[in-house]
Amino acid sequence: MTIDRRWIFVAMGLALVVPLIMPLGLPTEASPPVKANFYTVDELPAGAPVLVSVDLDPASTPEVEPYFRASVRHLKKRGAKLYFVTLWYQAPPLVERWIAETVEAVTFPGDRVYRRNVDYVWLGFREGKQAVMANMGQDLWATFAGHAADGTALADIPLMSGVHKLSDFALLVLVSAGFPGAKEYVQQVQARYSLRMVAACTAVSTTDLSPYYASGQLLGLAGGMGATAEYEVMVSRLVGIDPKTGMGAKALDALNVGHVVVILAIVFGNVVYFAGRRRR
Amino acid sequence: MLPAVDVVGYWLGIFLTFAILSYLYKDNPFYKLAEHLFVGVSIGYVVMQQYYNVLLPNLFDRLTFRPTWYWIPLVLVGLLFVKSVSRRLAWVGRYPLAFVVAFYAGIQINAVGESDLAEQIAASTRTLDVSKTNVNAATAEEMAGLPGFSPVVAQRVVKARAEGRKLVSLDEVEQLPGLSAPQRADLREARGSFAGLDAQASVRDGERYWFGIVSRLLLLVGLCASLVYFYFSIEHKGLLGKVSKVGVWVLMIGFGASFGYTVQGRLALAVGRAMDMLDLDKPAELARQVSGPWVSVVSIVTIIVGIVVWEKVGQKRKS
Repeated sequence: MTIDRRWIFVAMGLALVVPLIMPLGLPTEASPPVKANFYTVDELPAGAPVLVSVDLDPASTPEVEPYFRASVRHLKKRGAKLYFVTLWYQAPPLVERWIAETVEAVTFPGDRVYRRNVDYVWLGFREGKQAVMANMGQDLWATFAGHAADGTALADIPLMSGVHKLSDFALLVLVSAGFPGAKEYVQQVQARYSLRMVAACTAVSTTDLSPYYASGQLLGLAGGMGATAEYEVMVSRLVGIDPKTGMGAKALDALNVGHVVVILAIVFGNVVYFAGRRRR
Repeated sequence: MLPAVDVVGYWLGIFLTFAILSYLYKDNPFYKLAEHLFVGVSIGYVVMQQYYNVLLPNLFDRLTFRPTWYWIPLVLVGLLFVKSVSRRLAWVGRYPLAFVVAFYAGIQINAVGESDLAEQIAASTRTLDVSKTNVNAATAEEMAGLPGFSPVVAQRVVKARAEGRKLVSLDEVEQLPGLSAPQRADLREARGSFAGLDAQASVRDGERYWFGIVSRLLLLVGLCASLVYFYFSIEHKGLLGKVSKVGVWVLMIGFGASFGYTVQGRLALAVGRAMDMLDLDKPAELARQVSGPWVSVVSIVTIIVGIVVWEKVGQKRKS
């Protein structure tokens, strides 16, 4: 028995689109690595300097964008000083848009607008992958040639006065879609400088990063769309906004139904295969 | 209000998504158009990014505005990369390549040795005799990883102990002063005598965490069996063959987990595009401007009509 594979595409398309139009409201329960991520951020002292490395491309945004937005909300709630960098050349246009929509905007009750080079610094993109990470560990200012992304001299930004290398940050938040990303940060600078790090990554990277969470090298981990949605729901509850309105929460129903279709397709395929073999 | 050019950008994105998806039917001009656009735009973007972020600041600016003598040999070595201009001179490209390979090997070997080997071996080399964490004696750091705990909860326990309080049951943890409602709820949810808080923590010394013991045994057996599978100096027969087979099963479970996550990743991509087309990821005003669902319908109809016409023209040409 053969089935035209296009029927599977149709079934999958419906499984993904219908729950988006008619949400099922399936429950979301945060997993231990996501809770650990949340509590690590939640226990930052007020005004702590936090480096956010946004290493991604447009293809990975559905998986990690909800985490970025939730994370910025969470860090603003803690009153953290924010420093953004990226090691992916595809990321700067996205990061700049997201900064405008989250950091420089009011996104929850009691939130305030962060001003560029006053409350946050956007250091921009640097080519060099692991070499840039290693350099940031030694001299952050030299790595970015003494200038922020908008050309302002770092010496003229009061926010930069206390941070000269990665170990000056209270926490590193890694929004990572692959190479170079969270894995390379752990390898290059975590062990060397005993840095505190949490990470969000795409689903395919999760099995690579899980051992680092198990060994304590990463203090928290949100792997894939499901986990980033869990984090988003936790942060939404914390800051007092409806968890259902978040991007991740909206996507979760579709993801769950999509998985059910994959499982049914595997079961159906096996049943047909074994039934056919018995007949032969 | 979004500028008109950005709105058109959103429309184009929706149309091109359906053009790419039309490949699921068969190869067609809409798919080809989207594919060629994607490749062209990607290359253009990469070239400009590399020029402004690498060549301009690291080469042209340095040679023109702040020339330093030691840049000259580096530029000359870099120029050796341009080997493709002559097949006869291709060998010179090996020197800068060797420099780059050696540089990254130097960066990576120590880093990976420290983080992936030393730290991971240290994390895997643990006693098989796993005791429950005694909340009346453990440090805040030891308690922070317990189910339902966080560093703040652990600090509250330590503070209560410092004030002379001794916990007589785990029920008392969630009654400690200073805990928030979500923290209390987490502690309640984390209870459980199999692998939950009751299994891992106690109010006295000397109790065993049985699931932890089984878990570490599994880790040890799985690790050793997997290593045996990759030991090729002796033929995998008899006992070694059986152990190696266990290793294969452990590896297959690992690959299964990776595959499961890969499926999730691919579904997430599709969900992301669907949300964009249904305007679910946009603020209300932007969604009104873009009108994604209507643009989706128009795109689908255009592509279907286009493919039907293309097929009919193709049939006519053949006949």
